[in-house]
Amino acid sequence: MSSIGTSLLRRSVIVKETLIHKSDPRTKFIFFLWISIFAYIFYDYVLTAIFLIGILLLAMMGKILKRVLLSVAVIILPWIAFGVPILSVLFPWNSTLMFKLEIFGWQIPFYYEGFAWGLTWPLRIGVCITSALLFYLTTNPASLIALLFKFKLPFRFIYAFAAATQLIPLLVDEAGTIYQAQLSRGLRTDVGIIKRIWNFLILIIPLTLSSLTKVQIRAIALESRGFSAPVNKTCLYDIKFKNIDYAFFIGMVIFTLILIYIYIIYGFSPIVHLKQYFIAG
Amino acid sequence: MKNVLSKEVVIYFQNFSYSYPTKRNVLIDINLKVYKGEVLGIIGPNGAGKSTFCKSLNGLVPHFYGGTVKGNVIVAGMDTLEHTIAELSTKVGIVFQEPENQLSGLALTVEEEVGFGLSMLGFPRELIKERVKEAIEKVGLKGLERRSPFELSGGQQQRLAIATILAMKPEIMVLDEPTSLLDPIGKYEVFSVLKELIVEGSTIIIAEHEIEELAYLTDRILFLKEGKVISLDEARNVLSEISKLKEAGIDPPSITELTYLLEKELGIKIDKYPIKLSEAVKLYSEVLKIK
Amino acid sequence: MKNTIIKVEDVWFKYNEEVTALKGINLEIKEGEIIALIGQNGGGKTTLAKHLNGLLKPTRGRVIVKNLDTKNTPVHVLTNIVGYVFQNPAHQIFTSKVYDEVAYGPKNQGLSQEDIEKRVKMALEMVGLIGYEDTHPHDLNYGQMKLLTIASIIAMQPEVYVLDEPTSGQDHNGRRAIAELILKLNKEGKTVIVITHDMKFVAQVAERTILMANGEIIGDSTTRDILLNIDLLEKAAIKPPQIVQLCIELKKFGLNFNCLTIDEALKTFSQYIKK
Repeated sequence: MSSIGTSLLRRSVIVKETLIHKSDPRTKFIFFLWISIFAYIFYDYVLTAIFLIGILLLAMMGKILKRVLLSVAVIILPWIAFGVPILSVLFPWNSTLMFKLEIFGWQIPFYYEGFAWGLTWPLRIGVCITSALLFYLTTNPASLIALLFKFKLPFRFIYAFAAATQLIPLLVDEAGTIYQAQLSRGLRTDVGIIKRIWNFLILIIPLTLSSLTKVQIRAIALESRGFSAPVNKTCLYDIKFKNIDYAFFIGMVIFTLILIYIYIIYGFSPIVHLKQYFIAG
Repeated sequence: MKNVLSKEVVIYFQNFSYSYPTKRNVLIDINLKVYKGEVLGIIGPNGAGKSTFCKSLNGLVPHFYGGTVKGNVIVAGMDTLEHTIAELSTKVGIVFQEPENQLSGLALTVEEEVGFGLSMLGFPRELIKERVKEAIEKVGLKGLERRSPFELSGGQQQRLAIATILAMKPEIMVLDEPTSLLDPIGKYEVFSVLKELIVEGSTIIIAEHEIEELAYLTDRILFLKEGKVISLDEARNVLSEISKLKEAGIDPPSITELTYLLEKELGIKIDKYPIKLSEAVKLYSEVLKIK
Repeated sequence: MKNTIIKVEDVWFKYNEEVTALKGINLEIKEGEIIALIGQNGGGKTTLAKHLNGLLKPTRGRVIVKNLDTKNTPVHVLTNIVGYVFQNPAHQIFTSKVYDEVAYGPKNQGLSQEDIEKRVKMALEMVGLIGYEDTHPHDLNYGQMKLLTIASIIAMQPEVYVLDEPTSGQDHNGRRAIAELILKLNKEGKTVIVITHDMKFVAQVAERTILMANGEIIGDSTTRDILLNIDLLEKAAIKPPQIVQLCIELKKFGLNFNCLTIDEALKTFSQYIKK
């Protein structure tokens, strides 16, 4: 029977008919790699912010802007809010003074290097996350599986990935049933921490054992349907490049050339002119 | 017994014995032949070896489980010891007891699940589409093609499993207690599909506890107990051996058992025990009206 | 006159906005009854059963268990009165010894070591698993595991037992063991409610049968009345036991028998013939 969990997992992909949705998942995946690499190559918070805004515009085109903004804000805004002030003061490579603030009678110096670092890294991560979300939220599960096939990943890996998304919600359901079964034997929920850990075991053990049994049953069913046949598995899904994808690729090539030009002429920090290149940080 | 014209042997157990790594002597010295187009029922208490018997037909026993084997099993001309489970899956399809746990988990829709076996064997997409369409119609799941397999009822999921096998067009279909976890409607749905397949002349092996249904579906019945063959005979003969069945803890069809008990109680002799309801109605309407 | 032990008053239950699983259920269960709860999956049997020990609370209406309203009573208090045995033993078993498994319930009830030992012994005796105290539950066969899960509830000494499909997946031996156990419990004055699809089993153990469909009770009467009511059963797409089917067909020949089980038919037919 349909479980709430299954539908939640399916609702994570927002089904709409935008250009972004229609484009091939390979394009979106390559875009994610491409823009993440460039965000890493350049150490420039303004440029990185421009990348981020570009991706958000694409997200808007894909009608998933709210979802993406929410997800990325939750991660990078706190990071910036805490990281920037702390690093501006305490970053080991600080040298250029911006200003001094009087706090509790102390003169605290705020330096530029820490500030830039505290801003650039979250933005870089933001670029990765938003471009990944752009890929994930506009790709339906069928296309995703087709993508893995096109990448010629080993079939067992594709199977593990796809089956996990469908079978984990069933586990969640079952955990609920086990919980009810143990409640029926007097499992107490109004208890202290130690008892709660013990309660957790009482739920996990049956869940694990039951899962192991299910895995075995599934394994023999799979084997009986030719799972281990040493042939190329037929992928029942199809993904093809369309005009939007070619447009995307052309766009990426053009931007690559522009960015290479900027890098050669202006270096890795074209807009804000940061002097040091902090790789690992 | 149904007129099996060809008398072609499709399954041949030759002195077959099997022990799992952790359980010994699950099947002991099995010798039997199954013919093309036959419907063979398998009955026996839990632990008799019914499931193991079924799994010996497509190589799960011994290839998946390991263990020790004596003798051999020849299925559709292939010795199960010398062929992989994948190879045998083109000749033998098994439907298991648990509707949800035999779903692949890979397919997002019913259509894709039905095509799963074929896609594992690398069949071309167009051929898969055709076979899937045929199979879905045969099991009565038309209209549900785009639904998720996990949204179906138990009976629908079992019919889906049957369709997945049908699409692979095996020579033999094996069902290991397919209805034991289903509600009455689910059982009815599965048995109806089986009746259709039987009419078309499929070779079917079915292990079941629903003994009253087996009386209708099967030509012969294999009665297993503690790994040994107790009897292998026409359904009527096996189901009429009331004391043997009760000794093994199996309930015969109620009407058959009733007839046996009435015989004893009244000291009369009834020639042919009814194993189907219609037969019982005929018998009792005559016997009781005669009074 | 038997006392009412559970009262279900106009209970409605919604899982969410779209699914209303129970629509206005009214029911009285008296002490010492053996009731079969039947109907197709999705009809509301399990949902209703889970209201009896407070696992689920009604969206509307109330369930009174021995004068306790389930809405205001914690589940662990209700489980002392109503024991619920789930269908799949794997969902319960988490220990490595039969003894520990059966002792878990009484432990939760806060009993002393001595009392727990007594309860475990009593429960294992009842189900016929004495001697298996140190066995690992996974070394038991399926039928024994089922008996183990029932034993672990018996050890809690509830007054009402709810058994969710105790015979599914079992062979005839297993079914017989369950039937005997139910009759044993009933002899001790316990109330037993069995959710099942096995009509032959219903005819053997249950005096009263409740038939549910689409979240409503469409039949609540003696087992004989329900199983002989062809129209009602047809509505719920259920087939009565074979003996009942035989009797129904024989009515067409002017023979009026109302037997539920083989034993009844044996007695009735042989008496009829001897006359």
